[in-house]
Amino acid sequence: MGRNRRPSKQMLLLLEVLSARSQEWRHGYDLMKETGLLSGTLYPLLMRMTDQGLVEAEWREPEQPGRPARHVYRLTAAGVTFAQSAALSNATPAQKFALA
Amino acid sequence: MIEALSRALMTLATCCLGEARREWALAMQAEFEEANQARTPLSFACGCLIAAWRELPRHAEGRLSLASHMLALGLLIPLAFFQFGCGLGLSTAHGGLDTGLGPGGSQDPYLASAQLMATPALHILWLMLGAAHLRLAWVLLERDWSSVVKTGALIAAAVVTLFIVMAVLLVDNGSRMVLAAELAIETIFILGLARWHERIFLNTTPATTGW
Repeated sequence: MGRNRRPSKQMLLLLEVLSARSQEWRHGYDLMKETGLLSGTLYPLLMRMTDQGLVEAEWREPEQPGRPARHVYRLTAAGVTFAQSAALSNATPAQKFALA
Repeated sequence: MIEALSRALMTLATCCLGEARREWALAMQAEFEEANQARTPLSFACGCLIAAWRELPRHAEGRLSLASHMLALGLLIPLAFFQFGCGLGLSTAHGGLDTGLGPGGSQDPYLASAQLMATPALHILWLMLGAAHLRLAWVLLERDWSSVVKTGALIAAAVVTLFIVMAVLLVDNGSRMVLAAELAIETIFILGLARWHERIFLNTTPATTGW
């Protein structure tokens, strides 16, 4: 349902950051810092994108003892394709030429 | 202080996310520790609470919670204050007690004296109804259905008593109709919520519904 709609500016930003290193698992707080999005914007986006199969999430053991396990995220194959098509549709003609 | 407030907001956010988003609530809690270390716990917690509120209409438990809050804040609490107003003699529109006893009231001296004698008891009944409505709003939000049933029964008994006494004392017929309508509307809404709650939690916690 949501995938048929034009992605928001925040979603494009998140897609851009996630697709820059699409194979790498990222923590929520790191994504906040990289995108500049607040937790109130980032988490609903991550939830939606996970529901739509664009993002996958898994639990990782804490790096420091006594800390809780953390959720990590990365784009799925469908997410990578979606990110590419979203980037293409939002690119300027010069950028489209470079991407092609 | 800020950390304690932030933790309280995170707990609230976790509750608002409900069972459907339990994993996301845990994920936010884990990232909160990072935000706390980076000395931005309050903004992070506020954001999580906003995210949780935005999620409320998207899942069944959240919609039920929103509906319960709307019923409590939009109907039960205003009714409680209205009934307190009647009990304290601040409002004459609903109870009709003072209408019956005032200058335009009964001219029959026997009826007038009976109405006067009944006034304190009726005022106490109104106050009790107001308090019962406040309690009903509280237990409804707590989803304590056995207490909802008990409080609902108390309200029904008080309304029926008021209805009968007001009829015997020939106090304003319109007010009695309003009382009956109030009771009917409340009962319909609460039964609807109880059935909705039962549908959602039937497979998980059937014992908690009490209906």
